[in-house]
Amino acid sequence: MSSDQDHLQDTDTEARFEFKKEENSAFEAEKGLTEETVRLISEDKDEPEWMLERRLRALEQFQEMPMPTDWPGQPDLSEVDIEEIVPYIRPDIETRGGAEEWEDLPEEIQDTFDKLGIPEAEKNALSGVGAQYESEIVYQNMQERWEEQGVIFCDMDKAVQEHEEIVKEYFMTKAVPPSDNKFAALHGAIWSGGSFVYVPEDTSVDMPVQAYFRMNSEGMGQFEHTLIVAEENSEVHYIEGCSAPKYSAFNLHSGGVEVFVKDNAHVQYSTVQNWSKNTYNLNTKRAIAEENATMEWVSGSMGSKATMLYPSTILKGPGATDNHITIAMAGEGQDIDTGAKVYHNAPDTKSTIESKSISKDGGRTNYRGLVHIADGAENASTSVECDALMFDNESTSDTMPYMEIQENKVDVAHEATVGKIGDEDVFYLQSRGLDDDDAKQMIVAGFIEPLTEELPIEYAVEMNRLIELEMEGSLG
Amino acid sequence: MSAQVHANLTEAQVEQISGELDEPEWLLETRKEALAALDDLEMPDVITTPGPRHWTNLVDLDYESLVDPLEFAQEKDRVEAEGADVLSWDEALAEHGDLIEEHFGSVVDPQRDFLTALSTALFSAGTVVYVPEGVAAEDVKIRTRMNSRSLFNYTLVIAEESASATILERQTTGENLDGDQYYSGIVEVVAGENASVQYGALQNLAEDTYNFSVKRGHAHKHGSVDWIEGNIGSRLTKSSVETRLLGEGSESQIVGAFFGHEDQHFDINSRVWHEDEHTTADLVTRGVLDDEARSVYEGVQDVGRDAWDTSSYQRENTLMLSDDSEADASPKLIINNHDTEASHSATVGQVDAEELFYMNSRGVGEEQATNMLVEGFFVPVLEEVAVDELRDDLEELVAERLRN
Repeated sequence: MSSDQDHLQDTDTEARFEFKKEENSAFEAEKGLTEETVRLISEDKDEPEWMLERRLRALEQFQEMPMPTDWPGQPDLSEVDIEEIVPYIRPDIETRGGAEEWEDLPEEIQDTFDKLGIPEAEKNALSGVGAQYESEIVYQNMQERWEEQGVIFCDMDKAVQEHEEIVKEYFMTKAVPPSDNKFAALHGAIWSGGSFVYVPEDTSVDMPVQAYFRMNSEGMGQFEHTLIVAEENSEVHYIEGCSAPKYSAFNLHSGGVEVFVKDNAHVQYSTVQNWSKNTYNLNTKRAIAEENATMEWVSGSMGSKATMLYPSTILKGPGATDNHITIAMAGEGQDIDTGAKVYHNAPDTKSTIESKSISKDGGRTNYRGLVHIADGAENASTSVECDALMFDNESTSDTMPYMEIQENKVDVAHEATVGKIGDEDVFYLQSRGLDDDDAKQMIVAGFIEPLTEELPIEYAVEMNRLIELEMEGSLG
Repeated sequence: MSAQVHANLTEAQVEQISGELDEPEWLLETRKEALAALDDLEMPDVITTPGPRHWTNLVDLDYESLVDPLEFAQEKDRVEAEGADVLSWDEALAEHGDLIEEHFGSVVDPQRDFLTALSTALFSAGTVVYVPEGVAAEDVKIRTRMNSRSLFNYTLVIAEESASATILERQTTGENLDGDQYYSGIVEVVAGENASVQYGALQNLAEDTYNFSVKRGHAHKHGSVDWIEGNIGSRLTKSSVETRLLGEGSESQIVGAFFGHEDQHFDINSRVWHEDEHTTADLVTRGVLDDEARSVYEGVQDVGRDAWDTSSYQRENTLMLSDDSEADASPKLIINNHDTEASHSATVGQVDAEELFYMNSRGVGEEQATNMLVEGFFVPVLEEVAVDELRDDLEELVAERLRN
């Protein structure tokens, strides 16, 4: 790392103090996100010129694009004040190197960690305290195991320095261009941190690659970028661990995920997100699958105030496959608008989408999906299944699938059902000696099983515990 | 987004139309207000994908060249049922003025969008069906043959408590009509307590016609409004069929069928709002597309917070016969009450290759086999059509299209 970047991470108070002063004046001079800010970020990271240029181009696009506001029933983003975004970056830059104390976290978060049974050291890591150290260890372990085969797994900022050619080719050029949407553009301008995974040809990484605590380690982790390149005949399962509730002064998370699945390769991307309830989670995630490649998205969306997230896959090569398994849970004050998008752009492509949602205490879940079958994508087949479970009459559950079919030799099916938790099921379980809460919890566990069985056991257990926590006290 | 058509429309024209129907002041005022509102109104909603992609472009249509408010030549047959009144507007206004004033515009907001307001301001053709309390009016028929470049049709159906009505409407185009045409039809149905209205419409307009229609019903306590919507003709159809289930135990069924060929475009919407307890809805639509035809389907099942014990089902199936056709669908569920059983499904596919092979192997030629499978595809929808005549007509039109 360069000395410029080191000085940011230096705990020397004077250096940090000076930096802060500089930044303060810069940010206060102009409201909103300015070119100066973007240059500063790039400079801090000692980035090559091309990356700075991409950031600046993204900034231009960000400034030109309107806020997404006209989708039917979309979450209310009126509180997302773009003018205030930059000031939100500042506190996190200050905390680089670990300035926050566990005790400073809100009680709600501390409580959740305790209930999850997470030990103190991990709590510190999860809360952003000293996470850098912890994450380095995670990376080291990975590298030792696979580096001989040429697998690369590292921090995205580091990848820009050390694997420049690969990053230059793929970074926001093919899968998620900044022009995709306003928040992708924002992300392109001020992204920072994230994971880089490169799997060479004919290589199977037979253990899930996990980026668990790392996201908090970076100052602007809320704009993290994940880039996965799986070369021909390779296989990898990447797990993004924001499965713990995060606390941050930020209230906007706008990440970017790009996955390239080459011929015959197989990538699974799993994530269980449980953002704090003051977070707007506006992500863009996209995969491009080449011939006979398989892409699998497994996602659980638990936290956040509002989420707009539609992982998408472009089935570009003949015989490519895409599977989505997603579960969303919305409680009080939450609006989880999530779904999946699949573009069938080649013959013999297949996709399946299985979406489950649970809404309670006035929360809203929405499945918003798009299946596009291009002219010429013969023998494409897709099936979409959405199931919603509702706990009470204050909650809302919507389903808004869109299907665009331009090819006649296809098989397209969509089904959705909505229902309350079955009185009979509850009664049956009660008659077997379970109390009402346990019975309902068991029904929910059964309902989300398709998701949990796709996750490694520790994530599945955690997912279940998170749902239990969410439901605590809300049943009866 | 206002279309230029307004430039050619004047209050004087509206007054003239109103005068010819011998209308009361309130209706003239309603028309004038609708005319004045045109400046501020948007085109009807069309669904856009999270792309965003507009699926039906109404904005670029040149309404100015299509609309000629004072020319409304048409032939109309009305078949009345015993005990019920099936009247032209001028007759109806004379006989049931108060009733019309009470219900006109109560179901379809005259200013819900640009094209609806245009219809309200300019309608010159239409029918009022009044079914008094307890009367069963079967086989009411309204046939409209359009003989002018533009025709604005307005139908109001009032079924009082415990009344029932079966109404068949059919729109066709007369001969010797050249160039593009514009047909607009608004239908309002009020079904009182325990009343049931079944409204079947078969649209077979000439294929250079732009067709805009809104059909909407209010079903009160234990009332039902059932719709059958067949679309065969027109170049572009934008059709909305809607029911608000306002009363406890009310029901609605919306059955749709369309068959598009050449460059026809169908934008079909089925929507139902569950607003009270124990309400039931069933939406079923099947469509076939050939050549470069395109269909856009949006179905909405909206379950309100007070709609306890709701059952709501929706299914839409599209069969594509050609590689150049396109089918877009979005069946939406909006659920605000958890005591609900709701489901929707949509499928798109081609004629089943195995079935085709089976029939070929039994000596049925390719074309005939395809035709039989297309006819077979419509059967589940035709079975839902309780009105024999409409079912026969629809079957015949499908067969006719297949022969061509």
